Parts: sequence; C-alpha cells; structure tokens
Amino acid sequence: MIEQAQVGLPTPMASTLRIVDLSLGQMLWSRRSVFLGLLVGGPVVLALAIRVLTTPELTSGIRVTGVQVDGASLFGVMIWLLYIRFVVPVLGIFYGTALIADEVDDKTITYLFTRPIPRDAVLMGKYLAYLICTTLLVLPSVVLVYFFVIPVNGGHIGEAFPSLVVDLGVIAVGLAAYGSVFALIGARLRRPLVVGLVFAFGWEPAVLLFPGYLKRLTVGYYLQGLVPHTMPQDSTLSAWMQMFTDTPTLAASLGSLVLLTLGSLWLAGRVVDRREYVLEQ
Amino acid sequence: MTAVVHADHLSKWYGQVIGLNDVTLSVPAGVTGLLGPNGSGKSTFMKLVTGQLAPSTGTVTVLGEPIWRNPALYQRLGFCPEQDAFYERMTGLDWVSALLRLNGFDEARALDRARRALELVDLSDASNKKIGAYSKGMRQRVKMAQAVAHDPELLILDEPLAGMDPIARRRMIKLIKEWGIGGRSVMVSSHILHEIESMTPNILLINQGRLIAEGDIHQIRDLIDEHPHTVHIRADHPRQLARAFLAEDDVLSLKFEEQAVVVQTARPDSFYARLTSIAASGELGAIHEVTSPDDNLQAVFQYLVKP
Repeated sequence: MIEQAQVGLPTPMASTLRIVDLSLGQMLWSRRSVFLGLLVGGPVVLALAIRVLTTPELTSGIRVTGVQVDGASLFGVMIWLLYIRFVVPVLGIFYGTALIADEVDDKTITYLFTRPIPRDAVLMGKYLAYLICTTLLVLPSVVLVYFFVIPVNGGHIGEAFPSLVVDLGVIAVGLAAYGSVFALIGARLRRPLVVGLVFAFGWEPAVLLFPGYLKRLTVGYYLQGLVPHTMPQDSTLSAWMQMFTDTPTLAASLGSLVLLTLGSLWLAGRVVDRREYVLEQ
Repeated sequence: MTAVVHADHLSKWYGQVIGLNDVTLSVPAGVTGLLGPNGSGKSTFMKLVTGQLAPSTGTVTVLGEPIWRNPALYQRLGFCPEQDAFYERMTGLDWVSALLRLNGFDEARALDRARRALELVDLSDASNKKIGAYSKGMRQRVKMAQAVAHDPELLILDEPLAGMDPIARRRMIKLIKEWGIGGRSVMVSSHILHEIESMTPNILLINQGRLIAEGDIHQIRDLIDEHPHTVHIRADHPRQLARAFLAEDDVLSLKFEEQAVVVQTARPDSFYARLTSIAASGELGAIHEVTSPDDNLQAVFQYLVKP
C-alpha cells in the first residue's frame, strides 16, 4: 500500500498548466494535427509556386489589373485571404470545438473531472494547449511563405520584417479569438463542428458583405481592423464592397477581440462547470 | 460508524428515463459492494457519488460533503471507472504520474508514487509500455493504479474485475480487501455476486433504479444457490479446459463459443477456486479472460422483487 501523503490542492493556475502539459502532446500528435498540418502546408506550396513562376527568367512579375504587385502586397493578400479568412478559422473550428468533446468522445473526461481541479481549469488548460499547438503549426508556414513571397519583384526580406511580426501577432489574436468562440460552441452545442463551419464560412462572409451592424457579430470584422496591409481593388465587386467597408480602429478591434475572447472563455468555463457529461457505455 | 456515502431520497432522470429512483442509503466505512445486473442503476449511482452527475432530486454526500461541483473533495477520492478509455499513446507510468500531478504532486513525487502504484497492481514491468499495447487485464490494472496512487480515503471502483484473468482477479481482490483494512473505505460495484462476496460481506443490491436490499451478503448468497452461475472463459484451449471442468461434479453444463467455453456451475466457489489453480499451473494453456453474464443474477433479483 502507498503511504499517505499530505499534499495541498493545486492552485487554478497550476491546474491549468498541468492540463496544458497533459494535453499538448495528445493534441500535437493527433490525426487532426496531421490533417491540419497538410492544410497549413497549402499556402507554402502556393508561395513556392509563385516564387518559381515569377523568376525573371520565366516572367516579368505578377500584375493585378495591369499594375505590378510587389512581394509585400502579395504577402499581405495571402495573410488575409489564406490565413486569417481560412486557415485560422479552420484551426479554431477543428481544435476549439473539440477541446472537451474529444475527451467526452474518448471517454477520458472522467479522469480529468474526478481530480481536485476546477472544471474550468481543464477547459482553460486545453485552450492554452490549443494556442500553443496551432501556433506551432502556423508559425513555420507563415515564415516560409514570407521568405518565398517577399523577394518577388525585388522585395527585401529585412525591410518587410516588421510587417511579418505584426501579421504573426494578428494571426495569434485570430487563433485566440476564434478558438475561444469555438470552445464555447463546443461546450454548449451538440453538433459543434457543423455549427462552427456554418459560423465561419456561412455567417461571417455573408454578413461582412453587407453594410450594417450585423458584421459586429463576427470575429472577422475586428480582425480586419488589425490587418496592416491595404487590400488590392482588383474587381468591381471588391471596389463596391470597399464602399461599405467600415473598418474599426486598431484600439476598438483589439479591445473587442480581447473582450470577445475573455467573454467566450468565461461562458465556456461556466457551461463546462455546470454540465453533466453522460458517457455512453 | 460514520457513513462515507450518504444518499437521501436520491433520484436521477435522463429525460423521460429514470436511472435511479428515490434511493436512501448509508455506506459505512470499510468495503461495501454495490451489486446489480447491467442497467440496474449501479453506474448512475456511481456517477452521482463521484460527482459526474447532479442529482435530479434528493442529495448525496461523500465523506460528509456534497460532491457535485466540489472538486476539492476529489483529493480524498480515488475512482476507477468502468469504461475502457485511456490516452493510448502514453505509457502507463506517464499516464499515472500525469494524473497524480493533477492532484497537486510535484513531478518527482508524482513519478515515485506512480511507480509504486504500478508495482502494487503488478505492472512494473510494463510501466514504460504504451497503454495502447496493454491487454484488457493490464488496462484494468493501470486504471486501478491511477485510482489508488494518491492514497485516497475512499476508493470507488466500477466493475474493476471485468475482463481480468483469474490470477490478476485474485490479486485485485486481495488489494481491495487490504485497502479496506487500513482505515480506508472502498465502494465496489459488480454484477457478479461471487466477486463481491470474495471482497466483503456488506452489500447494497440495486435493481431497476431502486435499492432492494442492503446488509449481509450471506442471506442473498443462499438464494443464488438455487440458480446456476454462468462463467464465460476465453482461453487458448477451451476444449482441454472443458475436459478438466467435467472431472468434477460442480459443472452443470458446457457450451463452446469461438476460442471460449461457457460453463454453468451450481457451486461458483469451488469452480472459481479450481479455475484459478488451472490458470496458475498453466498446464492447459493461457486463460485470457473470465467474465460472467448476469442472467443468473437477474433471476435472483426477480426472486427478490417478487411480490
């Protein structure tokens, strides 16, 4: 028999960090990460293709409506369209909705919920593990895209470096915001993946197209206020859209995203704390 | 004696389905068996006692405190759930020590305790193997290790012997009995009367969500002798085993299934004793799994609830 040991209750912070420790490896080496790793590899392949096809021997560069686009602009477009509007929400959906759902499906939630740690610390720990895991997935991809795309049309890697840092920051904020919203959806709803996909690729793009207040109920609207790049006006539709675009200020965007993230996490924690998880035998 | 678990008019509904119906009981210190056929409400009761579910009506207290939304109480509880669920890619040692860290142990102490817990359930040799590569019996034992590793005052075990081979089963029964001796308490559920009987004379009988009897097992035991006990044995050589079983008169009937033999016995005590010695000798090949369907137990319950 193991002798009795006096040990104090772990603090909420210590509990959270221990859940991070337990969950990170599981998350990183999951089939989901392999699949999403391939997804974040897509922009890298595209960037490589652009780099190869824009070598002076093959072409005189990339032009949009007759205007030559430099590497930094191209990188900005890729960050906005590929990462912030696509990769970040997809990562948020697939990891965020599964933070607790995976443990319930695998029936391992019992081991976490019968330990002397608050349930919201379990959620918080899994959320932090998600942030680390997705950052580790996205960071190399963005950096590689940067190195491939910036030199297009004679851009200098060193000059555009501050923009890379800002873009990485925006992506991190996006991952945090989308992750928290989808964590709430995952904690509250029965089919969180479907709801998450509808939110990110149905509701958000649809609402962002039109003027009015509804767009304030999206994450994308606030992320738009953080993006440092000027979007190219390459079509009538985008020019028309630009007329109705009211981009919030940087401070308003950041403040709203922080509030959205903290609010969603608090609500998700409340749901997890009060919910009964009936595991099917 | 102080009750370690107390339920007062405890009920649990799953929508329109009732899982537990107005149960009032007190579980004394020591080892207590919770007995009932599958679907009787045992698991619902276990989930209420471990704070995984909230009561629909009534109250449940564990070690004198309400358990629902009271995480601090888990410092004093160890729970071995029924489900065969793990972080398959982790080793047994990593898993048990990671769970111990959630109890507040630092890394070094968690590792030390995890090693000793695995030793206690005879898994030291496999402690660095991935859980995904464990046999069913080993998985049961590693589950038990995580439950005892932090030395809880109350150990709650949901069907802990399911799927174990006879030798591991004997060891586990010994461990449970010893745990109850050292001033700690154990609540163990099973649908097999014989298993519970080997651990404790103190039982709670649940059927169809209701508590139908509590107290001394021997009174119940007399009833079960009127009903044959069914044992399903998965082994390398079921036919050779069957031949050995037929040598004694405690076997009523035999049936073969794929890599298994199903035995009906009128005297489970002597049959299980014989089975354990056959398994220990290894002469008739390996015995991988011993399970008992609960049809015969259901018959006893029907008898008990007969008006």
